[in-house]
Amino acid sequence: MRFAFLALAVVMAAGAADNGKTLGNPTAPIRIEIYSDFACPACRTFHEQTLPMIVRDYVMSGKVAIVNREFPLNIPAHKHSREAAAYATAAGRLGIYQPVADALFRAQDSWNETGKVWETVASVLSAEQQKKVQTIMKDPTVAAEVQRDVDAGTKEKINSTPSIFLIRGAQRLPIPTPVNYGFLRSLIDGYLK
Amino acid sequence: MATSNNVVRWTTLVLRVVLGGIFVYAAWAKLRLPWQLFAMSIDSYQLLPTPVVELLAKTLPWFELALGLVLIAGWWLRISSTIVSALLLVFFSLMVRAAIKHQEISCGCFGPGETISWKTMLRDGSMLAGSLFVTAMAFVSRRRSWGRLQPAEDFSPTPRQSG
Repeated sequence: MRFAFLALAVVMAAGAADNGKTLGNPTAPIRIEIYSDFACPACRTFHEQTLPMIVRDYVMSGKVAIVNREFPLNIPAHKHSREAAAYATAAGRLGIYQPVADALFRAQDSWNETGKVWETVASVLSAEQQKKVQTIMKDPTVAAEVQRDVDAGTKEKINSTPSIFLIRGAQRLPIPTPVNYGFLRSLIDGYLK
Repeated sequence: MATSNNVVRWTTLVLRVVLGGIFVYAAWAKLRLPWQLFAMSIDSYQLLPTPVVELLAKTLPWFELALGLVLIAGWWLRISSTIVSALLLVFFSLMVRAAIKHQEISCGCFGPGETISWKTMLRDGSMLAGSLFVTAMAFVSRRRSWGRLQPAEDFSPTPRQSG
């Protein structure tokens, strides 16, 4: 999985229209928009199992772009989710959204229990990056950006995570989860023909 | 007595047409989108092997369409309403099972994007109740029509015994 994301640096649209949250060619014919919560186990499964396959098969070749959206659920069991989303958003502005997202999902159980979100984020950043992320975190537009994603998701009537949409031109299709990759691949291949 | 019979008859008719309409709409909602989306909805219940899921995703919407049309037309009412009731019973049971297992999945009822909730269960439960009523009435009216046929059968010629 890490290999896929490292190789992806070549095609990463860091700092582009979506503040570094778009993975792959921003003008790809298909966009997959993912609303997730870093404390949600199903999001972790999708991130660690399905997403690498999408990246390998379609993002690397520029056919599909992944758009990450924050949707921290407002429930007691996910009380650190919004903070995690803010850190990931801040990291996105430096073009390092993906490694931070990887770390947050990987150590999900730990920081969700202890509340040590920053420690998890810092573990994958250099000292310089840590400083920059901390500075960006003070900018109120980071929290506003997270809220913008939440508002957009609420407008989409999202009530669970992950919520995934396949966007092709004006068509916006909700993808049922948990995602069966065989069917998703068949769907994308059908559209790319 | 005649008034209450009329009420039952009209209620049955309305329920039958509404149920048929819902089935036609449910079929259209699935058929207008790629079959893979419905397949992913079925698959999310984590109950059937992939080849069966694929077969169901490709055929069930057409079956729902046919059932809906037959129900609206009122043809083979006992058979069609029984199948609709059985189908709704399966759908409802699967929803309850998913809710018990705390699965936050798409119900797949009218295409993707609708997560199973008490609302979807209430809706499907109401449809099931309506369908059971239509089925019961279809059998009751059949029995009544048999009852009406009884005197006619009395006049039917009896076979003569030879010898």
